[in-house]
Amino acid sequence: MSSLLSRLADRWRGSGAYSLTTPPMDGALRPNQLIESADLATAAGAPDNLVVQGDRVLFTSGRAILALGDACGSPVPAGEAPAEIACMAAAVDGSLALGLVDGRILLRGGVHDGLELRTCGDRPVLCPTALLFEDTDTLLVCLGSQDNRPDAWKADLMERRATGSIWRVHLGRREASCLADALAFPYGVMRVGNGDLVVSESWRSQLVAIAPNGGSRPALLDLPGYPARIVVRPDGAGAWIAIFAPRSQLIEFVLRERRYCERMMREMPPDLWVAPSLHAPESFLEPLQGGALKQLGILKPWAPTRSYGLVVQLDANLRPVSSFHSRADGRRHGVTSCVEVGGRLIATSKGGDAIVAIALPPSGAQT
Amino acid sequence: MLSEFLTRWRYRLVPDHVLGEILSKTWIDNAIPFAILLLTLAVFGTLIPGLVTLTGFAALYAELGELIFVVLGMSLVMLAGGIDLSVGSVFALANFLTLLLFNMLGWPIPVVIALALLCGGLVGLVNGFLVGYLRLRAFLTTLVTLIIVRSIVDMLILAYAVKVANPVATSPIWDFISFDTFHGLPVALIVALVVAAAAHLFLTRLRPGWRILAVGGSRRSAYNAGLPVRRTIATTYVMSGVLAAAGGVFYAARLNAAGSDTGVGLEVLALTAAVLGGNSLGGGRGSVAKALLGAITVLIVSSSLIRLSLPTGATSFALGVVLLAAVAIDVRWVKNRSKLLSRVYVSPTYLKLPPAPSTEAGSASLYAVNDRLHEVELIGLGELDGPEDTILDAADHLYTGSRHGDVVRFIAPDYRRQEIFAHIGGHPLGMAFDSEGNLIVCVAGMGLYKIAPDRVVSKLSDQTNRSLLSVIDDSRMRLADDLDIAPDGRIFFSEATIRFDMSEWMVDALEARGNGRIICYDPRDRSSRTVISKLLFANGICMANDGESFFFAETWGCRISRYWFTGGKAGRREIVIENLPGYPDNINRASDGNYWLALVGMRTPAFDLGLAMPNFRRRMAQRIASDEWLFPNMNTGCVVKFNEAGVIVDCLWDGRGINHPMITSMREHKGYLYLGGVSNNRIGRYRIPGADPDWTGVGSYWGART
Repeated sequence: MSSLLSRLADRWRGSGAYSLTTPPMDGALRPNQLIESADLATAAGAPDNLVVQGDRVLFTSGRAILALGDACGSPVPAGEAPAEIACMAAAVDGSLALGLVDGRILLRGGVHDGLELRTCGDRPVLCPTALLFEDTDTLLVCLGSQDNRPDAWKADLMERRATGSIWRVHLGRREASCLADALAFPYGVMRVGNGDLVVSESWRSQLVAIAPNGGSRPALLDLPGYPARIVVRPDGAGAWIAIFAPRSQLIEFVLRERRYCERMMREMPPDLWVAPSLHAPESFLEPLQGGALKQLGILKPWAPTRSYGLVVQLDANLRPVSSFHSRADGRRHGVTSCVEVGGRLIATSKGGDAIVAIALPPSGAQT
Repeated sequence: MLSEFLTRWRYRLVPDHVLGEILSKTWIDNAIPFAILLLTLAVFGTLIPGLVTLTGFAALYAELGELIFVVLGMSLVMLAGGIDLSVGSVFALANFLTLLLFNMLGWPIPVVIALALLCGGLVGLVNGFLVGYLRLRAFLTTLVTLIIVRSIVDMLILAYAVKVANPVATSPIWDFISFDTFHGLPVALIVALVVAAAAHLFLTRLRPGWRILAVGGSRRSAYNAGLPVRRTIATTYVMSGVLAAAGGVFYAARLNAAGSDTGVGLEVLALTAAVLGGNSLGGGRGSVAKALLGAITVLIVSSSLIRLSLPTGATSFALGVVLLAAVAIDVRWVKNRSKLLSRVYVSPTYLKLPPAPSTEAGSASLYAVNDRLHEVELIGLGELDGPEDTILDAADHLYTGSRHGDVVRFIAPDYRRQEIFAHIGGHPLGMAFDSEGNLIVCVAGMGLYKIAPDRVVSKLSDQTNRSLLSVIDDSRMRLADDLDIAPDGRIFFSEATIRFDMSEWMVDALEARGNGRIICYDPRDRSSRTVISKLLFANGICMANDGESFFFAETWGCRISRYWFTGGKAGRREIVIENLPGYPDNINRASDGNYWLALVGMRTPAFDLGLAMPNFRRRMAQRIASDEWLFPNMNTGCVVKFNEAGVIVDCLWDGRGINHPMITSMREHKGYLYLGGVSNNRIGRYRIPGADPDWTGVGSYWGART
């Protein structure tokens, strides 16, 4: 009874569990401009889905699959899909799995070439967000939502959905089993050293570990943004998270103001919503927060922002150890995927139309 | 829609902003003690018939006079951050001494009173020396004095109790003090009220009084400011001793008895009264009025409890509970008042704007985005801080304001050299030249100022008539914004908002209430008068070419209106442009007979939606940090030109927002347009294609001068 009363009081006052706080960027997450000042590996329209295939690094841009050229060369075409590609995975035998925004998963190359999945078990593939080959016959599929397509992720957040799921699909037998359900937009998946699967749950700003026996537990809570793709480091000692947008007090507030939020979604195009964004503001019709007012012609890097560029390095225990940023005054925002190849961190800034490469200090050195 | 209709009327009828304005008043500290007094009267008035009548009160008058003396003394000590527990004993000592000197020894009354007061002062001096100079703990020290003085009194009473009770002489003065009343008020109460009035003057108007408050407010700061902290503290104890003794003298006059229970527990009574009245235990915050309120309340409570004939001890118990509650309320109030104020001060209201017109580049819209302002020359880049408005004189020199409180002049013809033309002290905003070449300036936080050509700064106006129902003192000018001068010399200027200062002008956007007004300054009789009030951030003002009317901008209302101040249509007000795509700022004349208008920022659908949902904005203001608040988009602006009919005829954008993210003003002069921005660090100079190369603003108002 008293807890109910205190909950009601908290709700009315906006305190306790109803207070609007976002985790600070501090400690290992202290801001820098390493992504903003990083070398441009290549420029491409809305690049995404970096995967390593043999000695090539592939990424997607719209419908196109491209391979990173050597030494900042222009990218080499490596294929094209019939629709915009939402996610991609590569298997050791050279086959690719492509998740398309129109709601299907295509297999290219290898033994299952040409296979098309439109359902996982009984569930339609509406929102493929991440794919991972366990072996050439087994594919892990993240379905971000049952309600929105991948390109409507903003609506999925603002509607406060939690209808995502993870599936293990046996490609030969065409059998699928659900590993976890009712996730708030699973956007990335990786397998870590102890055999657990780790999933990034975007709208809850956390990583969830799923043990081989099916039990799940939070692996990393209270990220200051919405995590996208996660990938283990080549030596297996740690991982990378790409965080595609920052959390902000205003957005958390709007998420709770249902009347405002629903009218906003009904009456405005998504670019103008008070919602996270992949790119830095492009129009004066986009919402502005008080701290983002230009003073003496300058936008402060610490200004409140709806878009950000952030990659976080985790240690083997999934604790953050360092981070790479592009701040409010930057352009390289909306980092959705990253890989570590040959001592370099490569990341796609989907909102900044750029792929950046950052040389990492040799393994073992302090980062 | 019904809900929108209800929302609109709810915000039209309920003045939400008043709560915050009341809370920001200093007298609000008295509200709680006053409410407690009323509550006390209500409770005991119903319990005891006849209490709340003149005769009921009259029974308390004499006692009240004595209590007021003691409470005043206690309050003075508390204001300086201390506490005086010895007042009860001093009271008893003075009572005994008076009776001893007068009844037993038969000394003359004036000498008796003087000696009694002196004695109280001496006890106070001991306290003051120990607490003030030796810096002992006030509580323990005065507790010890309480015990020592009490035992002295007890010993004296043992020895002389019978002898002092029977007077050996009579004195007309003594009888007067003892028995006479004036208009029903006993002498004790009258003297107490006179002393209270003097104490009020002392605390609020005299330097030693201020020092007491300063020492109580922050002992260290007072010391650092060079105040004699120790002496000030010691003085308060002396005053407390004298006042307690005065109470004792009147007690002696009234009862003519020296019992061992005289003044017992008086320190608790006085302390309760002082704290209940709202004098802070921590010092520095309180007043005589609070002490009086507290004394009346406590006396009503204690005497009513006695009249209810509760069992022994119940009265003290009740007083203890009241003291505890008063202390708790005091602590919570001091801690939370500013928090509460900051939570409730911003009080948004309902504003429904129609959908904004399109600004899409390349469209047929009058406001289509272009990049024509990209080709500006920059003046004073990085040297300026907040050139809100610009103006040029007959010799082509360029004047602008800066946040440092200066009017800066850039020297023609290349505007590379600058000098401080005049220092005013507040951020100069709108500017205009009058017919004699004086520069008239609106200064944020200060009002309307004049700078003569010889650089002498003089104040024209900093207050206007106070409106009848305004809680906030709106006679003062908080944010004078822009001005223009009528042909007859009258100056019309806008005050953007009466509720916020310059540093938080954007917060006014969150309220979207008609907080602004237009004021007319008449140089003939130097009077100022509010002409139009309740404007949504009154901003730019520009005289129309007919000389009988002016245009004015309402920033949050996104509209331009015209007001006729003289001629056949005098007093009429018409909306000229409605539903701008952005927020209008300054208006100025153009060489082709039209008018330039700066749009300081652009509307966003997200903020426009919030304007129609005041509760959403109120919760936002309460729950998230101010830097995170949703604001209008002030990072992009433009300049438009409109004609007398209110039709937009031209539009200039800095599409990339590099030089002029926010434009608050523009001034045409000899074929160029000069652009200012209140949070920018540069002035832009744009060549207007095809503009009259000889036209000047000053000339268009006052004719060409040499």
